[in-house]
Amino acid sequence: MNSSDHPLDRFIADLCGRSPLEGSDIAALKALPFRMRRVDAGTYLVREGSVPDHCAVLVEGYAFRQKVTGDGSRQILAVCVPGDAVDLQNIFLNVSDHSVQMLNKGTIADLLREPLQELVMTRPRLARALIQQTLFEASILREWVVNVGQRDARERIAHILCEFAVRLESRGLAGKDGFELPMTQEQLADAAGLTSVHVNRVLKGLEKDGLINRRRRHIHYDNWRALQDAGDFTRGYLHIPGEDLVDQAFAV
Amino acid sequence: MSDVHPLGALVRRWSRFADLPQGDRSAILQLPFTKRSYGKDLYIVREGQETSECCLMLSGFSFRQKLLRDGSRQIISFHIASEFVDLQNGLLEVADHSVQSLYRSEVAAIPRSALTELADARPAIRRAMWVDTLIDASIFREWVVNVGRRDSRARIAHLICELIVRLEKQGLGSDDAFDFPITQEQLADATGLTAVHTNRTLQGLRREGLIELNSRSLRVLDRDGLREAGDFDELYLHQAV
Repeated sequence: MNSSDHPLDRFIADLCGRSPLEGSDIAALKALPFRMRRVDAGTYLVREGSVPDHCAVLVEGYAFRQKVTGDGSRQILAVCVPGDAVDLQNIFLNVSDHSVQMLNKGTIADLLREPLQELVMTRPRLARALIQQTLFEASILREWVVNVGQRDARERIAHILCEFAVRLESRGLAGKDGFELPMTQEQLADAAGLTSVHVNRVLKGLEKDGLINRRRRHIHYDNWRALQDAGDFTRGYLHIPGEDLVDQAFAV
Repeated sequence: MSDVHPLGALVRRWSRFADLPQGDRSAILQLPFTKRSYGKDLYIVREGQETSECCLMLSGFSFRQKLLRDGSRQIISFHIASEFVDLQNGLLEVADHSVQSLYRSEVAAIPRSALTELADARPAIRRAMWVDTLIDASIFREWVVNVGRRDSRARIAHLICELIVRLEKQGLGSDDAFDFPITQEQLADATGLTAVHTNRTLQGLRREGLIELNSRSLRVLDRDGLREAGDFDELYLHQAV
């Protein structure tokens, strides 16, 4: 990271890419008090039931949202990538309704809740941009309800891979040959509502059919369209503007 | 005035989410809107259409849904009086899913520009609107859990628990009896189960003495038992924001 870089750069770039912000809004965001911290894999950034006093922005590393049911099984609700605010909902909700945990090690910028609240109360344009972020998140959640509710195991996993590819691409974090997926098969299973044995079988199947190649945690795909097709994936619900760069890169 | 004005319900709803000064309350009541009625199964919003308004339910039931390429349907939420069915369309340009009337419903369609102008001009309303969208997202998270990790009995019981809490909040239902026009097929599409499985599960809940479900009416016989069966904790509904 250059000394001129601001830890919120990726977060701000994503906001600006989706809604018009002015220089003064960006300056105000950058002037917010925050605390940087390095976190290990598995660290809880938010715990279900806790009363939040800050909003964390993921600077480096990946995190996931999760809830645990009464019988102890876990459902992963979303994967957060660098530049995501992991608990923006806590800006105005007083109790966390789910937990957020790091997938790997990373860096967090904690924004204090009250200055952030004051900022959005006085800056309507910035508030709009942040509300939009929560709306995009909700749209992804709706698609996840569909994914676990109606798709078969192979479609579910392929859909999650496609979503990850497009979201990483939009943040400049995916290569044109694929991406790093810092999730274990057990975590993928918890995101897809499957068992890890089942996920293992599905990944092998996708590999056998030539849709993906795996090297450790690296997922490589030769035929983006075929992978999209396997996952019943269309990117509209991500509300990511601009060209489909992944599509371009793989256009025949 | 707010008791007879169709948007009075919205004033009451948003007052729960933020301290609204009198001027804000009046401004909400002065929002332009068109009242529309929809019969069973009619579309209130269609996936892919450009958005120009947000619809507030005045009465009846509706549901959001997404269709898959093989024609199967996932219902992603149910909506009752005083809830927005598509508040996200105040800021998103294209509807990413459809909303259908489940049973006769009435909505107030408010132009999105009027809503966003109000939110821009009035911080307390901005906050209330934001909280409304955040609660929406919280409910979706719980639905991912419900469909992803609960067994069929818990899924159905959980869904019923959620609906009765929301109905009661609106003063709809008394003595544990609720108007419940949701069909077994729709319950199945909301929980990712087959209609046959849903039927069997409902019969089980009935046999256990938890509910009675006849055509269009639900009676809850053992509320604690139903919550237990549904692994239900209403925290995610953020009733006390």
